Amino acid sequence: MIFVLRMAVRETRASWKRLLFFFICIAVGVAAIVTLRSVIQSVRDVFGSEAKGLLAADVLIATNREWPPAARATIDRRLLEAGSTARTETIETPTMVRPTDRSKPVAKMVELRAVQPEYPLYGAVVLQGADRYSYALLRDHGALVRPELLTALGVEVGDEITIGQAPFAIRGVIVSEPGRRVGGFSLGPRVIIDYADLPSTGIISFGSRADRRLHAKVPDDRIDDLVRELRADFKDDFVNTRSYRSTEDQIGRDFERAENYLSLVGLIIVILGGIAVSSVTRVFILQKIRSIAVLKCVGARSAQIIAVYILQVMALGLAGSLLGVAMARGVIAAIALALGGSTSLLAQAHYGVTWSAAAQGVGIGVLVSLLFAVVPLLQVRFIKPSLLLRDESVRRRRDWLSAVTMAAVSAALVALTAWQAASLRVGVVVCAGFAGLAVVLHFAGRGLVALVAPLSASRSFPLRHAVLHLSRPGNQTRVILLAVGLGAFFIVGVRSLQASLLGEFSVQVDADAPDMFLLDVQKPQVEGVRAFLGDRSHGAGEFQLIPVMRARVTAVSGRETMLDSPEAVRQSGMSIGREFTITYRDRLESNERVVEGAFWLSPSTEPEVSVERDLAVRARLHVGDTIRFDILGRPLAARITSIRDVEWRESRNGGFVFVFRPGVLDQAPQTWVAPLKGPATPADRARFQHDLVVRFPNVSVIDFHEILETIRDVMSKVTLAITVVGGLVLFSGVLILVGAVAMTKFQRVYEAAVFKTLGANTRTIARMLLFEYGVLGSVAGAIGSLGAVALTWGVSKYALEIPWRVFPREHVAGILLTALLVASIGVLSSLDVLRNKPLATLRAE
Amino acid sequence: MIELREVSKTVMSGSEPLTILHPLSLRIPQREFVAIVGPSGSGKSTLLGLIAGLDAPTSGSVLIDGVDITRLGEDALAKLRGEKIGFVFQFFHLIPSLTAYENVAVPMEIAGVDAVRSRAHQLLEEVGLTGRSHHYPSQLSGGEQQRVALARALANDPPIVLADEPTGNLDSANGRLILDLLRAIHQKRGTTIVLVTHDRELAALADGRLVLRDGRVVENTLHEDADKEAVRK
Repeated sequence: MIFVLRMAVRETRASWKRLLFFFICIAVGVAAIVTLRSVIQSVRDVFGSEAKGLLAADVLIATNREWPPAARATIDRRLLEAGSTARTETIETPTMVRPTDRSKPVAKMVELRAVQPEYPLYGAVVLQGADRYSYALLRDHGALVRPELLTALGVEVGDEITIGQAPFAIRGVIVSEPGRRVGGFSLGPRVIIDYADLPSTGIISFGSRADRRLHAKVPDDRIDDLVRELRADFKDDFVNTRSYRSTEDQIGRDFERAENYLSLVGLIIVILGGIAVSSVTRVFILQKIRSIAVLKCVGARSAQIIAVYILQVMALGLAGSLLGVAMARGVIAAIALALGGSTSLLAQAHYGVTWSAAAQGVGIGVLVSLLFAVVPLLQVRFIKPSLLLRDESVRRRRDWLSAVTMAAVSAALVALTAWQAASLRVGVVVCAGFAGLAVVLHFAGRGLVALVAPLSASRSFPLRHAVLHLSRPGNQTRVILLAVGLGAFFIVGVRSLQASLLGEFSVQVDADAPDMFLLDVQKPQVEGVRAFLGDRSHGAGEFQLIPVMRARVTAVSGRETMLDSPEAVRQSGMSIGREFTITYRDRLESNERVVEGAFWLSPSTEPEVSVERDLAVRARLHVGDTIRFDILGRPLAARITSIRDVEWRESRNGGFVFVFRPGVLDQAPQTWVAPLKGPATPADRARFQHDLVVRFPNVSVIDFHEILETIRDVMSKVTLAITVVGGLVLFSGVLILVGAVAMTKFQRVYEAAVFKTLGANTRTIARMLLFEYGVLGSVAGAIGSLGAVALTWGVSKYALEIPWRVFPREHVAGILLTALLVASIGVLSSLDVLRNKPLATLRAE
Repeated sequence: MIELREVSKTVMSGSEPLTILHPLSLRIPQREFVAIVGPSGSGKSTLLGLIAGLDAPTSGSVLIDGVDITRLGEDALAKLRGEKIGFVFQFFHLIPSLTAYENVAVPMEIAGVDAVRSRAHQLLEEVGLTGRSHHYPSQLSGGEQQRVALARALANDPPIVLADEPTGNLDSANGRLILDLLRAIHQKRGTTIVLVTHDRELAALADGRLVLRDGRVVENTLHEDADKEAVRK
């Protein structure tokens, strides 16, 4: 044992510099794991402890329509029984806001929240500057707004804004508020007003999309019972009840999932490092062959020698992992520093490396180093001391022990990934996917190296030797191609996808298709809105006015499907339990096609419905079946007379799952929506919205150009995040490259000395290196680009269902930049190959 | 006692078998200083490797103190070498990542003996390298490296030292020094020494000689044992 320990120390002392880069690669992966896990754990702690604040209540009872008639009485009774100590109500609705000052012709959609004096029961509304929130700020038509609204409308604190028909004075700027989901999608900035002032706006009319919420304080031991009872009471109504505990649980689950999945990114980098460790161990053993033979000659057993190198690998793995933890500490400190001035919930977390994250990171770093080194180390057994007497090459051999070890290592890797992802299935899928990708990249690499092989017959001496070097004994070509190629794949892939998606969306917005959408047009306003839109002076192009109602399926009586209650519909698992927006009309839209039955051409007093094909297939609905609907509280049974195929990509004029035959619903309570082509310039669009809202204060306008901006913004953040991940992978590729150069340098120095002796000058050798790494980089870039093409094809076709497009600029840039990166790093790390004097090198050999 | 019974070695040269050593039998008694002589390619080093258990014979058996080492596995052979045989190579074969002291200490550490440090330094002193113990092989001259190799071979005080052309890579002065050291070891410790050389002058200094040519013994002046029962093919 003493021998093993001492030898491990001596070997590490002698070779750590050559192996350093591979273990820095492990360090980067461990740093990623530790950082992600620690940050998410810290944030989760805050969110967990703030669950009441997030909900602003112990129990929240909500509905997105008028409270059902008996509901208030039921809620009152249940809250009383549960010993509720406080309650308050809010209403949230999207609506349009404009400056009261008519000289500013702009309007913007906002998310309005009307609150009562007791709001919030938990948490706090934080205002900008020295202002502290109090209900008094809202009383008598006061409003608190998010800063982005001030910018959008060109107003400031003290100015008046008009909501619906009522003017409000801006009395403060909101920094944060309870119950606003972090990163959640919103239709516009928040505005808070007094609950009592809401009726004066006139925006809550029939069919408005308003979310009514009742927040209650309830003794802790009664919460679960109350939630259960209320859920039972309202199982057939659109009333939703939840407690801070379920929110807490949900948040816990969300964060856990995020933590586990994000950590896989770190794990992939560690595994890349592991592959590099495996590859380098193989070369290392080849270089150590004589020393190993000597050790055997003086009495060492194979197991002792393997133990020496395993100990060395573990020591370096441990050092790399500890370095990773230190790096994570640095990054986390920087995050805390960056968030220092912020007042968001995120800034309230106590950021630091958590023990569990550090332990996991270090464990993974050491374990992966060990797992990947074991198989190549087994080759030590085949080294015979007789090679000291005559030159014998040691062939790589496989025996049952290697096979068993390889199987055990694979199983351990799957187990490791499964542990990190907290799911065996994910572990298997990720490992299989990674192995598949590695195999594909491996073969692509071989194919491409074979493709450039003819260059080895080139007349250019440097190019010829550069290509030959790619397949020199002990080369690291494959592992560099894998790591650098994978990094390039991530980056080029996500950039192409972003370009593809934005391109697709821009095409849709820029074409003649509608790019604005009016909501909540009341029936009496239909003709007025029609006249407004028809008036060319307002700048609108083509438009349509479509009646819409919200409905729910309560029963199905059909050939295949029989569901006799809302409960049965909900539990059927056929995705027909949700709320649908329905319409009626007497013609098909251009994006629709009847695939079964016949579409009506005229009104009828018999209720008939046409069903979209995908849903019909899922719920096994057929022509002739009867569906019972609840349309805003009124039951209606309609017979299916046709099944329609809807091209959703062209559904800007309204894609509806259920379309009714006119005649039955015409007089039912309904609102209208209007897709339209808005004015061309941003200024005209702002004026158009302003003028419309002045005339029809309750009507909301969704501007697709603004949504495109939001999407662009969100996507660039996502792209940045994935690019950072790809960058880390690429960085580990570069580390492996530098490591590989360091590892095989003695060979290169010797070759360069021989070339110099034979008359090659430094420039020729520099060109040779430049060509070699240039070719390697181009091949890695090409692999990444090809992978990216495949990725965009797959994602476009199957996930996004958009036309597949290739972006040559991204791909060419990807290949060129990768080639440049690899060539410059390769040459820079080989500078001493160029500088060495040949005689000294040859003498040393 | 070293005993070889009908030992031969054949290797594949391309697709053709090539016999390096034709079947031979011999005995080397304890405390002998033996030279194996012959031109290049005569099978000297192969014979030495077979005695050390560095290589396995194609046929026959090799006995060290009555133990048939051809029946031993790699690990048992390693143990035997560690305890009973010291080896000196023509090309020194020191471990480049270890200092002179560490190279000498390794066999003792493997064997798990005590007082490694003092013994390693004592051995280095014996070969005249006090003060060079912390130098790496690349910082030593050829003669110095071979002396370290000799000290390493003596680390566990083995009864047998096998030397494969130990002076072949050295100038005459250094060669003479190594040879003097070997003789001193033989006389002081009574170590059996088997020396491979193609230098007949060097061989003349030995107690007995074995001359090989083309894998066969052409001359044997070993004092094989009391009844001088040398068997030769």
